[in-house]
Amino acid sequence: MKNSISKKFAFILIVLLAAIAGFSGCTKADVPTGETPGGTAGEQPAKETTLVIAYERDAETLNHIKTGWYSDSLIYMYDRLVSRDYDFNYRPSLAKSWDTSEDGMVWTFHLREDVKFHNGKPLTAYDIKFTFDTILDPETASPSQSDFAAIKGLEVKDEYTVDVMLHQPFPNLLFVMSNTSAGIVSQEAYEEYGDEYGINYVVGTGPYMFQEWRQGDKIVIVKNPDYNWGPEWMTNRGPALIDNIEFRVIPEENSRLMELEAGNVHILRDVPASFLQRVDDIDGVEVMRRDATKLGYLAYACDKEPFTDIRVRQAINHAINKDDIITYVFRGYGEPAYGYLPPALKSEYYADSKKDGYEYDVEKAKQLLNEAGYNDGLSLTLSVENSTEYSRLAEVLQDQLKQVGINVVIQPYDSSSYTAMLKEGQQELFIRLYSWPNADILDWFLLSSQFPYPNHSRWQDEKTDELIHNAATSPTWDKRSEGYFAVQKHLIEQAVWAPIYIPENTIAVREEVKNFKFHPWIPQYNDGTYLEAE
Amino acid sequence: MLKYIIKKLLLMIPVLLGLTIIVFLILHLAPGDPVHKVVGPNATPEVYENVKRSMGLDRPLIIQYFDYLGNLLKGDLGSSILQHRPVADIVMERFPITIGLGVRALLLSFLIAVPVGIIAAVNRNKLLDYFAMTFALVGISMPTFWFGMLLLYFFAYKLRLFPISGYGTWKHLMLPVITMGLTDAAVIARMMRSSMLEVIGQDYIRTARAKGLKEKVVTNKHALKNALIPVITLLGMRMGWIVGGSVTLEIIFSIPGLGRTMVDSIFSRDYPVVQGSILILAASVMISNLIADILYAVVDPRIRY
Repeated sequence: MKNSISKKFAFILIVLLAAIAGFSGCTKADVPTGETPGGTAGEQPAKETTLVIAYERDAETLNHIKTGWYSDSLIYMYDRLVSRDYDFNYRPSLAKSWDTSEDGMVWTFHLREDVKFHNGKPLTAYDIKFTFDTILDPETASPSQSDFAAIKGLEVKDEYTVDVMLHQPFPNLLFVMSNTSAGIVSQEAYEEYGDEYGINYVVGTGPYMFQEWRQGDKIVIVKNPDYNWGPEWMTNRGPALIDNIEFRVIPEENSRLMELEAGNVHILRDVPASFLQRVDDIDGVEVMRRDATKLGYLAYACDKEPFTDIRVRQAINHAINKDDIITYVFRGYGEPAYGYLPPALKSEYYADSKKDGYEYDVEKAKQLLNEAGYNDGLSLTLSVENSTEYSRLAEVLQDQLKQVGINVVIQPYDSSSYTAMLKEGQQELFIRLYSWPNADILDWFLLSSQFPYPNHSRWQDEKTDELIHNAATSPTWDKRSEGYFAVQKHLIEQAVWAPIYIPENTIAVREEVKNFKFHPWIPQYNDGTYLEAE
Repeated sequence: MLKYIIKKLLLMIPVLLGLTIIVFLILHLAPGDPVHKVVGPNATPEVYENVKRSMGLDRPLIIQYFDYLGNLLKGDLGSSILQHRPVADIVMERFPITIGLGVRALLLSFLIAVPVGIIAAVNRNKLLDYFAMTFALVGISMPTFWFGMLLLYFFAYKLRLFPISGYGTWKHLMLPVITMGLTDAAVIARMMRSSMLEVIGQDYIRTARAKGLKEKVVTNKHALKNALIPVITLLGMRMGWIVGGSVTLEIIFSIPGLGRTMVDSIFSRDYPVVQGSILILAASVMISNLIADILYAVVDPRIRY
């Protein structure tokens, strides 16, 4: 009797547990909420427009000071001191003007006086100082700390004037001040919300305000109705014309495309080359293309044989048929690269890169290898990250290098293991792509002080160090550009890398999105873009 | 029986403990680290070391492990090093979604498999049996993720009956639940059929028929209860399979569940999230096995623990 009662009890308990577990997946969204009353009787509220952009992954945190990976939403929720226009020129934003001291060591930023944070409080020089003090504080352990390494400190001169003191002249300050990492936070809000800042609260001055973040699902931002301080190069300097923007997480590529076709997603950033034609063919979708600020290249460990011999490096450059690669690996989307910077960086790009660079010439490559003493050929490893595109690129390179007598074994890695391998210096040949809109990328990758990582080319050259140092500490932007032309010329001569291709930035945009502005850095949705009502 | 349950629950502890050691070792001995992911490829060594220190990854492994264990025993799963928020929050947001999906799928599979298995057994070697077993064969052979994509393509994309991605309403759950439920039902249906066949061949069934009872009563009252026994134990074991399968389905259907979170955090080396998710998922699999054991005892009067 007792046994059967306890058994019945156990059975009921289990059924209850199953019911709880079964219905625990329900979220608030399952239960229909009552409509909030709005508008007076007889008034038709205007239909809200929501732009939906799909992404492969979610943000980690919306506190840009604490993370190295930025959700696009951060760009619209914050403003920066400096903005970048459609030609990648640096223009005023929160700072209406700035001047530099004679020796270039102090920059004075004069702020606009009409800017308000999303919590209604005015923006002052104290918020600027607080933002950068927090980033530079070692206790914060901010991943973007090194971006601002040139800054010694900030001083508030008055409510709308702030001085930035540098360790050395740094004309590139304009670039770092216009980066996502330089979004200005409200000191009051940042301190008040503490650990919850960036998770449940985000307070900036941008054209959009934080509304909600359903983890793993989507981030929703709403337009800031009081926004009135858009940069002067925008046609719309007031509130945005789109009411809401939704950043949806859809990890599966095919699902993203299906949603784009179905009209549930309006924008898809970075469509892979293999899908581009298919996406362009979809009714109601247009693929916009633009030269990217990216460079893909074949690199080698310059301090290891045979790469210590410049003739071998040059031979490898001559062995690569860039046009074939663009046609067969990237389906024709992209441009061959001869230099070390992408042409989209108009003011910094060395215009003679192609002239000075290495043309496809198998015979020349073989000749150089013979001169260097490798007429019997070479056996090398080629390390690559294991994505579909890179794997294909590796296979094509393997084939092209074989034509000149270099036999290559391909070694694929997942991205974390790849970096670990590079740090340990095990690489011989390896494939890299950088995405960076500034010439200082050359500092990161090629200064001797960066050896052995991120200088994974293991290039330690006094002349390079000297040229880069001169360029980076030039008094003006133009002198700096000239300095970097000399750097690029030297690198081409020394064949430090074998540049291959410049990818394209591609964005798939649905036809309902009107007045879309394809900016070289990131789409500017508040510059007059609007959604056509269905 | 109570003693049995308590004993089983207590045994879970050393198993989970051993799991934490294994997972910890594998994570930390694998190449790559989360610091690189956070600071990006362009960081200076100082920034790298600073961020590493803030994540506590500069300490010896043994200290890191015992620190983690100490907190775990206090009920603290630690903090995500990439999201800067408690692992417990992350797990509690996502775990109900994965389990909700799994339990619904399990129930669906049971509701389909039991009648299909019975019909197949009762109509042995006739057309109905062949249909049923072909369905089972197809279900077992087909990869779950492929079946999921097929359903997604036809019912969500082409016919627009269900949403293509996302989570929030019952409509979002239908396709993943059906995917998992049907493929799981295939496995259970075969078990049900063979179990039923074995029971029907027993003497006491012949006795029941000889008593003059209607065939339906013989099947549903006498045979079914006994045939269900091995199937119920199978249910508990299927939970582990479902938890594993949830990873691919959560990616295909864009569902923010724990399986997907676990895989993402493995790639980004977010150690505390990996450890927390594995612990919770392992515990839930063990508990469902325990429930299967209890149900087994409930259904079979011969079982005494």
